[in-house]
Amino acid sequence: MQASRARLFKEYKEVQREKAVDSDIQLVCDDSNIFKWTAFIKGPSETPYEGGVFQLAFAIPEQYPLLPPQVRFLTKIFHPNVHFKTGEICLDILKNAWSPAWTLQSVCRAIIALMAHPEPDSPLNCDSGNLLRSGDVRGYRSMARMYTRLAAMPKKG
Amino acid sequence: MKQGQEEVKGKSTPSDEAMDCVSSSYVPILSADDWATIRDDDIMHQHSQIRNEEAEKMPFVSDKEPLSALAAEYQLGSPILQEKIKMLGEQYAAMRRTRGDGNCFFRCFMFAYLEHILESQDKAEVDRIIASVEQCKKTLQSLGYADFTFEDFFSLFLEQLESVLQGKEDSISHDELVKRSRDQLISDYVVMFFRFVTSGEIRKRAEFFEPFVLGLTNGTVDQFCKSSVEPMGEESDHVHITALSDALGVPIRVVYLDRSSCDNGGVSVNHHDFIPTTSNPAKPILTLLYRPGHYDILYPKLSAYQEHINGITDNKVYQQRTQGLGKFFCFTSCVMCFAMLMVSFSAVSKQYVI
Repeated sequence: MQASRARLFKEYKEVQREKAVDSDIQLVCDDSNIFKWTAFIKGPSETPYEGGVFQLAFAIPEQYPLLPPQVRFLTKIFHPNVHFKTGEICLDILKNAWSPAWTLQSVCRAIIALMAHPEPDSPLNCDSGNLLRSGDVRGYRSMARMYTRLAAMPKKG
Repeated sequence: MKQGQEEVKGKSTPSDEAMDCVSSSYVPILSADDWATIRDDDIMHQHSQIRNEEAEKMPFVSDKEPLSALAAEYQLGSPILQEKIKMLGEQYAAMRRTRGDGNCFFRCFMFAYLEHILESQDKAEVDRIIASVEQCKKTLQSLGYADFTFEDFFSLFLEQLESVLQGKEDSISHDELVKRSRDQLISDYVVMFFRFVTSGEIRKRAEFFEPFVLGLTNGTVDQFCKSSVEPMGEESDHVHITALSDALGVPIRVVYLDRSSCDNGGVSVNHHDFIPTTSNPAKPILTLLYRPGHYDILYPKLSAYQEHINGITDNKVYQQRTQGLGKFFCFTSCVMCFAMLMVSFSAVSKQYVI
């Protein structure tokens, strides 16, 4: 518990330093609980998520950094590796390939990379995965784009 | 908004059972506390429950057992193994098992090394490894690892190393070392320290390790380190052992207990010594027993161990002697210099006189 708190505090300081460098990621720690974080990530360019801002929720276990943070999308997203209802993310580094060499910041970067390079063969969202697997890239892009507009972009007017 | 969604869904979603994911009505944003709905978490939770059940059966590091315990285990097993265990008994007296959780090699290394320091009180070795650890830190920094990702693991290992040296306020007994090796936090942090050191060494000498890595997996050195070295619970192979032994300068003997035998039917127990490239040729200071998929610690018979300890003290005496010799040389060369100076000075002064 003490070890994880100390580590998270170091990450907090690092995040403050990195703020200006990495404008695609905004990581915010809960005011009263260092084990709860929120991130706002920008959808990568040249993807259907471009222009959207996606909110992630981090719940950090007491054994962090030996155990990975639990991360999920709070913003609705249509993506083969994100559960459409719960926002759960299928990403190896958040499961068995986790190591303390990762940080909250680098996890965000990995999630942005996953948005740009979906893995349709291990889908959490079968519809999205099936579109890509059947070669209907246009169908996938238009669905993903629609949900980006609906959920991840400021409303017009 | 809801209507718009319905429309698109109707057009483009294939009709399989997963469709209800999409066609269900728009789910409002859940609160961050609502983790119960996440399936993968349930799976991970179940995994940790299974691990805990296993943990009750065997601690990270068990008590020392006579080698006869190993013989008993294979009583009904392969005759080759029985024969080999008999041969092991000629050189080795005891063993100490570690939990088979994928971290067994590192756990063995941790306990056997710290126990070796505790028993030998070899301060020169401690100074040497501290310098190596400092080097490993620099390696990780130069590879672009942020300090805060590894420093806690490094300092916890150094703390353990200091505490096995006796005569200090925070010195610990052998019992305490066993206790700490079974403590989840300490034990796992030290394992993670070794994983960082191993990964740093493999990445630093990527060109050297690449062909060996290719022999194990199909990926790059970077992928190998990310997926098979840095995560906890990933098993170790000769690549890990070579890297750790080289990085920390600790020679390791691995005795192989498998069912292999010679063509002529003769049986011998193979071993391989991992001798660090950086250090002088040295005898292994720890011996591990490898059975396919798992490492345990082996203890040489007292006579052999005594010889080994004597070897260390002999080494020290030798070092002291050579140091003494060095001082002697230093002294004589000073005298010589002074004498020559005097001679030349007197020669110069004579010239003046003339």
